[in-house]
Amino acid sequence: MKTKRFTPIIALAALGIALSAQAHDPKEHMKDAEKPDCAAMKNMDHSKMDMNDPVMQAMMKQCMNDMHHNDSEKDQAQADHQDNEKSSGEQHSEHQH
Amino acid sequence: MSALTTFIKSLVITAVIVLVGGGLFLYSGLYPMGADVPHNRLTYWLLETLRERSVARAASDIKLPGDLNAPERLLAGGADYNDMCAGCHLKPGKTQSDFTLGLYPAPPNLTLAGDKHGHEHADNTENDDPAIKRQFWIIKHGIKASGMPAWGPGHDDERIWNMVAFLQRLPRLTAEQYQILTARSNSSVEHGH
Ligand code: HEC
Ligand SMILES: [Cu+2]
Repeated sequence: MKTKRFTPIIALAALGIALSAQAHDPKEHMKDAEKPDCAAMKNMDHSKMDMNDPVMQAMMKQCMNDMHHNDSEKDQAQADHQDNEKSSGEQHSEHQH
Repeated sequence: MSALTTFIKSLVITAVIVLVGGGLFLYSGLYPMGADVPHNRLTYWLLETLRERSVARAASDIKLPGDLNAPERLLAGGADYNDMCAGCHLKPGKTQSDFTLGLYPAPPNLTLAGDKHGHEHADNTENDDPAIKRQFWIIKHGIKASGMPAWGPGHDDERIWNMVAFLQRLPRLTAEQYQILTARSNSSVEHGH
């Protein structure tokens, strides 16, 4: 049977998928994670910054997270953030207008 | 013999010649299979049409989430894009990689809008709904006999939508914006993203 020859190939492919599925857990990427270069934001043209622009909001969020961590109120920041996660549905509707 | 039988006979003979000729060509091994020789126009057109029609049909039922503009999606999708896709689909400031040079079909440069990234397909002018559904479907299911993998196994729909959301913004991002959006800040680990 010719199909038999494909069995190892399929097995390998399945193994590959299984391994890569694990590797794609976001936490796995953390080891070589880059930090956001928030200093670059200071050099951006502030007159062109639009606070309703999702890209702008996302950058603020990213850099705010960073700053919170140098805060003394670490726990506060953490609590805030977890809250955000849960109520993200409502958050989005707020951002839309 | 009536004109009709002659017509049918010649039709059958033509069909047989085409089939036998096609079979001989197939087995002759004359078609160049290397990724470094582009398809001829006919094969290219056949494959493009096959791909675009198939994807359009399969993607037509997909429902877009209402919150594709949420900043959370951009951050989650950006980080994933940078880790899993930028090698093939590039990022602001990069115009080629080993993958864009060597793969055939070449991965389109997704930092360019649909009408500029180097090949023809439906809905390639604006990021309208069919174009967004098409992207979601392609990311989830991949494309046969091309370098584009299916990311559905191992990634849930939400994660794929996050990348789709990011792709809508990517053509207008500067290199600095891209860096900030795609970085996985350590803070987000501790918060359990
Ligand atoms: C190994 C290289 C490779 C990787 C990695 C890869 N792709 Fe692709 N991708 C391709 C190729 C090649 C095509 C074109 C396929 C074709 O034309 O038939 C493609 C096509 C696409 C398209 C359709 C683009 C268009 O406008 O026609 C999208 C969207 C896409 N990829 C998204 C992604 C995303 C998101 C990721 C990461 C999760 C990713 N790709 C990872 C190679 C890759
Ligand atoms: Cu394209």
